Amino acid sequence: MRAVLALAQKDLRLLFRDKGDVFFTFVFPMLLAVFFGFVFGASGGASKIDLALVVESDSKIAAGMAADLAADASFEVKRFDTRDAAIDAVRAGKSTAAVILPSTMQDGVEGLFGGGGIPIDAVVDPARRAEAGLIQGKLNELAFRQFPKLFADTAQMKRMLARARKSFAQSSDLTPMQKLEAGALFSAVESFSTSMGAKKDDAKDGATKPDTAAAAPTDSDRNSWSPIAVHIAELPPRAGQPRSSWDVTFPQGFVWGLAGCVVAFASSVVSERTRGTLARLRLAPITGMQLMAGKGLACFAAALLVEALLVGLAVVGFHSSIAQPAMLVVACAASAFAFSGLAMLLAGLCRTEAEAHGAGRGAILILALVGGGSIPLFFMPPLLRTLSFGSPFRWVVAAVEGPFWRDTPLADQVTPLVVLVAIGLFGFIVGIRGIGRPFGR
Amino acid sequence: MLTLRDIRKRFGATTAVDGLSLEVRSGEVFGLLGPNGAGKSTTIAITTGLLAPDSGSVDILGLGSPADPRVRMHLGLAPQEITLYGELTARENLMFFARLYGIASPRARVDELLAQVELDTRANDRVAAFSGGMKRRLNLAAAIVHDPRLVLLDEPTAGVDPQSRNRILELVRTLADAGKTIVYTTHYMEEAAKICDRVGIVDHGRMLDIGTVSELVARHGGQSAVTVTRGEVDERVLTRDPVAEIAHQFAAGGVTGVRVERPDLETVFLALTGRSLRE
Repeated sequence: MRAVLALAQKDLRLLFRDKGDVFFTFVFPMLLAVFFGFVFGASGGASKIDLALVVESDSKIAAGMAADLAADASFEVKRFDTRDAAIDAVRAGKSTAAVILPSTMQDGVEGLFGGGGIPIDAVVDPARRAEAGLIQGKLNELAFRQFPKLFADTAQMKRMLARARKSFAQSSDLTPMQKLEAGALFSAVESFSTSMGAKKDDAKDGATKPDTAAAAPTDSDRNSWSPIAVHIAELPPRAGQPRSSWDVTFPQGFVWGLAGCVVAFASSVVSERTRGTLARLRLAPITGMQLMAGKGLACFAAALLVEALLVGLAVVGFHSSIAQPAMLVVACAASAFAFSGLAMLLAGLCRTEAEAHGAGRGAILILALVGGGSIPLFFMPPLLRTLSFGSPFRWVVAAVEGPFWRDTPLADQVTPLVVLVAIGLFGFIVGIRGIGRPFGR
Repeated sequence: MLTLRDIRKRFGATTAVDGLSLEVRSGEVFGLLGPNGAGKSTTIAITTGLLAPDSGSVDILGLGSPADPRVRMHLGLAPQEITLYGELTARENLMFFARLYGIASPRARVDELLAQVELDTRANDRVAAFSGGMKRRLNLAAAIVHDPRLVLLDEPTAGVDPQSRNRILELVRTLADAGKTIVYTTHYMEEAAKICDRVGIVDHGRMLDIGTVSELVARHGGQSAVTVTRGEVDERVLTRDPVAEIAHQFAAGGVTGVRVERPDLETVFLALTGRSLRE
């Protein structure tokens, strides 16, 4: 074991000394995963946020808000008839968030002075959490913009004050003196509202528009009074569907990370042969199996490292949540084993470094593309999808996607795992024969 | 110590080793000389177990074939090529080989070796940046990191500067003084004559002769040439006893100068392997 560890440590050290190998093994897969994530995943850096809007309320404030949302430069609004349809659009990545102006909005308006607040619901894609804050702020702002219209509507105001008077009168927390003072306040507000309504009627001829900017609340207003209740919820994950484009592209990143490992380690074995260090290794008191185990262990460790980096980046950077963490570990180990075997196979087939770098990289590239390395398998035409079964990378994607986001039942995950282990064993056996059984006679 | 018996090895139509037998005694420095393509490196590869012979047997230290890892533990090889990792430092290279061989205190052993090959001040530099001589010295250090009893050095001084060559030869002598058995292949006859206790001359895969340098010279070197000058006239006389010949010439009188050309290992080598060029 000591010799195997020494070999593995040496090979990893050599890997990290080669800037090209480090880039193609560790950095390139992450760049691709992020790049394709942006390509496949809605706006990413787009200037407008796609909103799926549902107007369930027939109130004036709902109509006003819908109009203001549609006119807002920050949003690209698409109307949906039902809440479910809007949420499905978010789930499908077509919209960043669903905004629902609920049927209870009118109740919220009338109970404005009696507590509660005007309700607005929103559902956001968890992968777009960064935009959730902006959406919340904008919804508050647009709701506040409706207030001058509300206060200028005398009938509406009277209904609001009547409900507030009733609420205060029934309250057991207030003293008689406080109730008296509140009654005086409501009378003053009613008088003010009546005069505002008269002014509004006067202004119709003068084409004076309400100053919506002036009506926008200040921070102190918001702190002391919160009449808008924006409820933002994250989209609940649905089993078997990706929560975001990153769920799809990070398993694809595995393909490129493993491809980098295969080429780097196959080249390293071929280099050992061409520069003569393999002869020195074979002279050491270790068996051929130990020698290949050392090489394979280094490749396995590098493959696991790149897989861990990809999963880490997906979870921390892009808020992917792993459906089955334990199974993902198993899938990572099986993938790393399969591709360690493939590295040995390639090393056995290639006689020169040029072959390993050229033909080897070319073959791996084609297998990676066919196996879903750049275009997800579900986007592929049927013929390519059938061909993909011949690519070991396809089995990596299948093995990783299952526990990553598909939440595949355990029984269905056995096949890709078995195929990967078989690929690894085949690679090791044929690779060792190709490299030349040490001391064989 | 090392016994090769009737070793044969063919590569396709080419016979690389053709019934070669050899016995190297414990503690001696044995020189294996031969022109390019004579079969020296193939013989070394078979001795180490890197190549399997088509027939014949190899016995090391009376323990058996080098196919056995326990036997290989006693072998050290400095191949003709620089077999080191250029991207690793000198220390990392030696530490790796020390760990591979399971050395108990690898760091101390590596420090000792780096000092021996005078690379201790460059221990943490990458080998790729080393000169040819430095790489050769480190290549030798890597061969003996596990303190083997039998050391095979395949042209260890090829292409190095005189200082490095001198250091390598000193190290070989030190190893021999420490009781190691050394098999040394080289093209440099003066090197072989200087450090080898016995020499074997190989050509076309066969061992042509084995002996000490003086034995080989006596058997194959031919006569010495004594050139006697009398005034303006030179007279060249071939003799097996140059001292007696010079005494005879002086007795005849009129001698103004004498020059003696004795046969050496190169004479023996050319006499045995011929003067035709080898590719």
